[in-house]
Amino acid sequence: MSIRVENLSHTYNPGTPFEQCAIDNVTLEIKDGEFVAIVGETGSGKSTLIQHFNGLLKPTEGRVLVDGVDIWGKGVHLKAIRQKVGLVFQYPEHQLFEETVFKDIAFGPRNMGLDDDEVEKRVKQAMKMVGLDFKTVCDRSPFELSGGEKRRVAMAGVIAMEPSVIVLDEPASGLDPFGRDQVLTEIQQLHREFGFTVILVSHSMEDVAKLARRVIVFHRGKLIADGPTRDVFNMEDVLSRAGLEVPQITRLMQELGERNMKVRTDILSVEEAKHEILRVLRSEGRVS
Amino acid sequence: MNQVGDRIIETENLVYAYSQDQEGETRALDGINLTITRGEFVVIIGRNGSGKSTLAKHFNALFLPTVGTVRINGMDTQDPRHLWKIRQTVGMVFQNPDNQIVSTTVEEDVAFGPENLGIPPDEIRRRVDLALEWVGMSEYMRHAPHLLSGGQKQRVAIAGVLAMRPECIVLDEPTAMLDPSGRREVLDTVRRLNKEDGITVVLITHFMNEAVLGDRVVVMDAGKIVMDDVPRKVFSQVELIRRLHLDVPDVTRLAYELDSSGVSVPRDVLTVEEFANALCGF
Repeated sequence: MSIRVENLSHTYNPGTPFEQCAIDNVTLEIKDGEFVAIVGETGSGKSTLIQHFNGLLKPTEGRVLVDGVDIWGKGVHLKAIRQKVGLVFQYPEHQLFEETVFKDIAFGPRNMGLDDDEVEKRVKQAMKMVGLDFKTVCDRSPFELSGGEKRRVAMAGVIAMEPSVIVLDEPASGLDPFGRDQVLTEIQQLHREFGFTVILVSHSMEDVAKLARRVIVFHRGKLIADGPTRDVFNMEDVLSRAGLEVPQITRLMQELGERNMKVRTDILSVEEAKHEILRVLRSEGRVS
Repeated sequence: MNQVGDRIIETENLVYAYSQDQEGETRALDGINLTITRGEFVVIIGRNGSGKSTLAKHFNALFLPTVGTVRINGMDTQDPRHLWKIRQTVGMVFQNPDNQIVSTTVEEDVAFGPENLGIPPDEIRRRVDLALEWVGMSEYMRHAPHLLSGGQKQRVAIAGVLAMRPECIVLDEPTAMLDPSGRREVLDTVRRLNKEDGITVVLITHFMNEAVLGDRVVVMDAGKIVMDDVPRKVFSQVELIRRLHLDVPDVTRLAYELDSSGVSVPRDVLTVEEFANALCGF
């Protein structure tokens, strides 16, 4: 499923002293099956943008097209759009409310009017996708789970609606490094194994470097860069203008480059950095 | 200065237990012995649920020990007579800046604490001005706090604590909800308060790049302290750290990986700068 926004602008509180333009004439397209990250400072317009993807916000100007259909056009059911484009908000565990994990995840599918068998099938499937064991967890209260588990329950609640696009706002924030890795690995699986289109909003350039193939940079409501992750993270000036930092490992390679070591600087992971440094040291005969 | 005076925070065999069901109790803290000296910058790390926040809440008597003692400047936190003095000595800053704002303007928000202490208006004015200056927020004095950025809100929260003239600030994941520049603003502020004004800092974080800023890193697991040393010593133990569900900074891991592949790089580098120096010389 593809999402296209055309000349999108969004102004909060128009015509009042608090009028504020949050998105300023943005055009972009996210194609079916992509893994895209949207980055930018607080207040750059990221959250406002993603709330347009499933019609939670209505554009002040411009259009939002999901699979080519203008979602604010006549005869379009927003309910169907919202089921196809699932939004997982920041700290989604704050929205858990049911007595058991099963009931919480089943809430969405039930509201879609599905029968009990279908609901159970979907809950099982969704729990499997986020790495929660159905038997041991389904009857427990979501509130007695760990932070990482709670978050996975909340994600499963969205997945059980069987969307084709999942938008995640800061899915790993507040988790310890291990919980962070787990959640990120599961998101990667959702994309690779189950074919979801994933849109990730994050302040962690490290996480973005690990996961996303394409990065879109926002600054003060405008789109200022859009391209393959490797290229965008090698444009240091763009990132610093946007108030962001390149991942530590990329910065290290840039620093080594500045000190006349002939390394590639478009490096995104520790593993890549290791191979690149070994390659250069070997070619210089400094290591066997 | 005498010995007690140098120790600002002291816990002795601290246990904090809560009853789970009829079965018995769960120990969130299980025999913590920790001494923090005046002027130190101590970072506490540990996986979710390891007891970090529970420990921090003992430092200003929000929680009281089930067993053992906590002393702040020698004052036992169990003694209700010391409560106000303790809370004035140790200030807390939490994760979510939105939950810590109480007033409609920045200056009123910062004045809230000292007003409650019954301090005269002139003195409050002085303290508010100074506190805002310390965190670099003077020009926002008359702004509405809810319209500030996350980093600015957190600095206002820190100013609110500073206006109480604490000797120690405890920050519980103050940057978890901030963007990179907000994170930098808060960390620079905290570092300056420690280095220039001598305020003792206890910082709880999940970001290992922040943990390397401390003079000392305390690692917690299952309610116990499992490591307590300078950052360089703690983070050079890559395998142990990862077993504890934590991580080391990426450059430290790269040094470890390269060293294992036969390149001689010290395993205890902590920053980009140190790594580059080690590999390229100066």
